[in-house]
Amino acid sequence: MRTGAARGHAGHFHEAGFYGSDTEFRALIVPFAEEGIAAGEPVIIGYDSRKNALVRSWLTDPSAVTFPADSNVYATPARAIAAYRRLFELHVAQGAGQIRITGELPHPGNGGRFDGWDRYEAAVNTVWQDFPVWGLCLYDTATSPTTVLDAAERTHPRIVSPSGARRANGRFQQVADFEALPPVPDPLEQTTPMIELVDRSAAEARRALVQIGGGRVAGTILDYLLLGVSEAVSNAQIHGRAPATVRIWAVPDRIVISVHDQGRGPADPLVGLVPAASNAATLGLGLWLIHQLDIDVALRHADDGFTVRLRGGTTIG
Amino acid sequence: MIGPVGSYRELGVQDHLCWVHGDRRDYRPRLSDFFRDGLKRGLRVAYLGSEDAGELRELLGRVVDTGTLLPREAVRVISFEEFYGAAEPVDPAAVIKRYDAATQEALADGYRGLRVSADVTDLVRAPERRDAFARCEILLERYSARHPLSAMCGYRRELGDAVTQFACLHAAVSAGLTPFQVFACDDGAVGLFGEFDQACQVAFERALRRIEPAPDDPELIFDMSAVRFMDHHALLALDSYAEACQVPVLARSVPPAVLRVARLLGLEPLGHVHLGGL
Repeated sequence: MRTGAARGHAGHFHEAGFYGSDTEFRALIVPFAEEGIAAGEPVIIGYDSRKNALVRSWLTDPSAVTFPADSNVYATPARAIAAYRRLFELHVAQGAGQIRITGELPHPGNGGRFDGWDRYEAAVNTVWQDFPVWGLCLYDTATSPTTVLDAAERTHPRIVSPSGARRANGRFQQVADFEALPPVPDPLEQTTPMIELVDRSAAEARRALVQIGGGRVAGTILDYLLLGVSEAVSNAQIHGRAPATVRIWAVPDRIVISVHDQGRGPADPLVGLVPAASNAATLGLGLWLIHQLDIDVALRHADDGFTVRLRGGTTIG
Repeated sequence: MIGPVGSYRELGVQDHLCWVHGDRRDYRPRLSDFFRDGLKRGLRVAYLGSEDAGELRELLGRVVDTGTLLPREAVRVISFEEFYGAAEPVDPAAVIKRYDAATQEALADGYRGLRVSADVTDLVRAPERRDAFARCEILLERYSARHPLSAMCGYRRELGDAVTQFACLHAAVSAGLTPFQVFACDDGAVGLFGEFDQACQVAFERALRRIEPAPDDPELIFDMSAVRFMDHHALLALDSYAEACQVPVLARSVPPAVLRVARLLGLEPLGHVHLGGL
């Protein structure tokens, strides 16, 4: 049995709220959490430590709320989707009629990067449809860049204001129509790559990467990049359009790789964010896998073709 | 010797080499060198072929200067039919019994072991014969890992891509022939060597299908210490193989990077493959 604004709704009730002060933040989050606590629903709240502390001080019984300790949940969009799915499964198995979740995604205004998180916001409209989830995504208009606020408006079917008024969002784009933000170019991509391989095998790309990248980043990161470049090259050769070009840039502590082909890229807007069933032969599983790794993965659709960009290292600009 | 080889000189008395060549003119010098080296090592050498004994000995005489100092029994010729039988397809277990008998006979005659070679191209030309012959190669690989038998299996390039499906079943192969190899460890484990990615996925799945646990072995162990790269396609293939295998399948010395991929795939730790077998 669902309660509150989501009463009677099936699947993910995805809502955005915009606030410009702590007072407005409180007006949005407290009713959401208190109503859930009163109904005995799991309530999950994930903000930075300052905001989490504020929320704790505002709630009548903060011990009834889960504040995820694992900040790594938001390491990558695909991992966040997978981690939350597991959490939702657990709550549903324990009999939850609704799960309330609210949090703030990484973006430049809070010290993070928004790359890929617009796709996450679009994807969760679909990938959490199996669960009675009420997701309230609150955006700070004082710190969020315009592009972030714009993406938030395009990815939430409903908007709630600090006054409590709720409305359907006219700017909402269905997942299939969602226009993802292009990845921010890496400065290294503007320079001459250390190597450029055209229509070469995945094994040759791995060899080049080991030769160039060995010792520049941690061994595990290099392993992840090897998996990533291998998968991207295989996909380009099997599903893309020749020529497939691999470019590798490397500086101390950082490696950037782009794998480009002249095809249109995968049509599925959710590719990489959810596993494509269990069929290993599908394009989706490999791309999902590399999105789970501790490397930055960006997909770029453009007029000249499709690019998978992989970045690994301690400092990613 | 495990992995790509550049020369027969790298081989010892317990090796199994796949040598790919253009034609007999290309193969004979390798055969000559391989046998000379074997004779120097005190091995009996045997050449297998489809011709009759007289023709085989004449052919061998042209490539190996047996000289007058060598006893006649140091160099033998064996017809394919004698070792591989006339049955279609070949019976791998029966073939290996004959190799074993010949090896034991060489030892009993005072040699340090047996070294054999054959151009087996004609034996695998028909696709329907390849599964059984591949199993022969796997058993020969297993046998040579534990007994003083060294073999150089010649395959002609004219077989095309089919060559690689046999090359990958040898511990030693000419460099550049196959990105991965399935070889026998001296303790009975099945060793995996090289790089396993999507480009060789079909070949790896085919190789797995041809591996059978040794009779009476309670388990099948994969040694993965020589795996340089393995992607999720290969891992899932290994998982499926283990699920269908009639005995428990174990893996040892699994590289950490492979375990991390397995964890992401939800195979904890390696799906139907158990960790262990040390």
